[in-house]
Amino acid sequence: MGSPVARMARRIAALALAALLAACAPDGGPGPATDGVPPLTVFAAASLKDALDEAAGAYAARSGQPVRVSYAASSALARQIAQRAPADVFVSADRDWMDWLQERGLVDPATRADVCGNALVLVAPRETPTGTVALAPGADLRPLFGERGRLALALASAVPAGRYARAAFESLGMWDGLAPRVAEAENVRAALLLVARGEAPLGVVYASDARAEPRVKVLATFPPDTHPEIVYPAARVAASTHPAAADFVAWLRSDAAGDIFRRHGFIR
Amino acid sequence: MLEIDIELRRGRFQRHVRIVEDARVLALTGPSGAGKTSVLYAIAGLLRPVSGRIAIDGRVLFDSQRRIDLPTHRRRIGYVFQDARLFPHRSVRANLLYGRHGRRGGEAPFGLDAVVALLGIGHLLDRRPEGLSGGEAQRVAIGRALLSQPAILLFDEPLSSLDRARREELIPWLQRVRDEVKLPMVYVSHTEDDVRRLAHAVHRLD
Amino acid sequence: MFTPAETSAILLSLKVALAAALASLPPGIALGWLLARRGFPGKALLDALVHLPLVLPPVVVGYALLAWLGRNGAAGRFLEEHFGIGFAFHWTGAALASAIMGFPLMVRAIRLAIESVDRRLEQAAATLGAGPLRVFLTITLPLAWPGVVAGTALAFAKALGEFGATITFVSSIPGQTQTLSTALYGLMQVPGGEAGIWRLALVAVAISLLALLASEWLVRRQRRGGRD
Repeated sequence: MGSPVARMARRIAALALAALLAACAPDGGPGPATDGVPPLTVFAAASLKDALDEAAGAYAARSGQPVRVSYAASSALARQIAQRAPADVFVSADRDWMDWLQERGLVDPATRADVCGNALVLVAPRETPTGTVALAPGADLRPLFGERGRLALALASAVPAGRYARAAFESLGMWDGLAPRVAEAENVRAALLLVARGEAPLGVVYASDARAEPRVKVLATFPPDTHPEIVYPAARVAASTHPAAADFVAWLRSDAAGDIFRRHGFIR
Repeated sequence: MLEIDIELRRGRFQRHVRIVEDARVLALTGPSGAGKTSVLYAIAGLLRPVSGRIAIDGRVLFDSQRRIDLPTHRRRIGYVFQDARLFPHRSVRANLLYGRHGRRGGEAPFGLDAVVALLGIGHLLDRRPEGLSGGEAQRVAIGRALLSQPAILLFDEPLSSLDRARREELIPWLQRVRDEVKLPMVYVSHTEDDVRRLAHAVHRLD
Repeated sequence: MFTPAETSAILLSLKVALAAALASLPPGIALGWLLARRGFPGKALLDALVHLPLVLPPVVVGYALLAWLGRNGAAGRFLEEHFGIGFAFHWTGAALASAIMGFPLMVRAIRLAIESVDRRLEQAAATLGAGPLRVFLTITLPLAWPGVVAGTALAFAKALGEFGATITFVSSIPGQTQTLSTALYGLMQVPGGEAGIWRLALVAVAISLLALLASEWLVRRQRRGGRD
């Protein structure tokens, strides 16, 4: 019954409902489900991408446990976990966000461990004639800037890489002179991009980032005592019931994992 | 002196129109769809004929052979549309005075006071077009066309959107304009009655 | 109530958004008119190009601007060498990025408004001796005014909230390019930044409401006053 229009409308409504239901259905995830083994879901800081992809692959190969990793800013991931996102493991780019979760009982402190560290480096576009620069108290970087050059950092008040850079310059007594020259990018990879493209003559990024970008060269490494220790803590998410979660975190501390991290420019 | 010899095409409608007329007030009649409005549009430059020539008192407005096609705003025609087309965002006075600009120097033969008196619209000057009756709007439209100092007046069925009473009301005003304004006029209508009462000559299109 | 950095960010956002909206007006009106009133080969392509920023991820737009108008970009280097103007790391770059992101919204609103203007009124104006420019300024534009105002308000609001394209193109430089959105983003990154986020979010809402009220007033004023 009903006009052709009404029939068409009903058909469209049925299709829409079917699509909606399909979208809500639980999915098995993109990872290869080996014999129906549910994949391990890892939330990790974006700066770990290349290293952790390789490490996760190695773990899956040796244990048969598929792992899928979601990368984003540590802040976003921590907030999602607080909203009961279905993560099994969390790897953060700094201690603050792991502490924040731990305070709220959202991660399992017994499984918490630092999986690697990083160094802070001063980079410049590859074609820059300058060789190396000594980063000591009172060093003057201004000749390297030219007339209008900028120092590229991640957001200095918010993103860990930016905060570490600022802390390092402050402890060297260089921050006040550099502050007017600073250009803060959304994250450390964006700051890296500015230097790689020659938009900024100088930038401060992680050693692991500089390793990944052929268009920049390292002018100096910040002495470790000039900034808080850069560590990447990992832990099992408290609400997770996945049997392999704690094992994966423990494996990240193994020598095999350590080799992978070192190869990507991290400290182990 | 009106000289029209054109080939018109508008969608599927196509016809050849030839009018050579000395009478000052010419009526153009014919059934609907005969192309009366198209002829007016062609004179006004709102519709380009496929070919031909249009001249008023020796002034050539369009000549396809000599590649003459004056843009509408330079043809000095005063057009009174069937639906008045008053500017809704301006007062009646502003509408009347719209055409005053752009007229090159010299004395303006039609002044605001004279036109207002001629058409009896003095009490409407500060009103907005939306509050006017059909007949009032048409009179303002006529005044507006006059005040643009045209060389010819074109009326496109000015009475057909009015009811009988308003029509009877407006015809005397049109006769007044005809008598006191010494401009050539082309008057389009499909009703024999007002044609008879207003025109000096009639050209029928069918 | 606000830290100096936050106040600076709020004022800068207002400056950038206002500049973006106003600078977009002339090209916005021109393109709106062109798309509404003219047919020409390639019109569909132009329409698609105008809408591109609407469908592209903002970071992509920002990256394109960086590649082209950055200090090392082809056009950027040219502009700096020959005219001494630079968009990179400058508030004008933030305004440009925001303007581009909001442009499709403005053009749509203006185009629709112009399309709804009765062409017969434009014809009548022409018969009264008004040339095309005068017709546009005295008939088309005034009658399309509500759409123009709406388009400007949309562009302003979009510019106020713009983040991805801006920070990718000109980074965040306090006093130059650190806008309200950037400040909000920064607060999101730090644990315990929630109070600041609410404060700044309220400011953003307040500004948007004011912009809306202003646009309503502008439309009503034109309708009431008219020109005599």
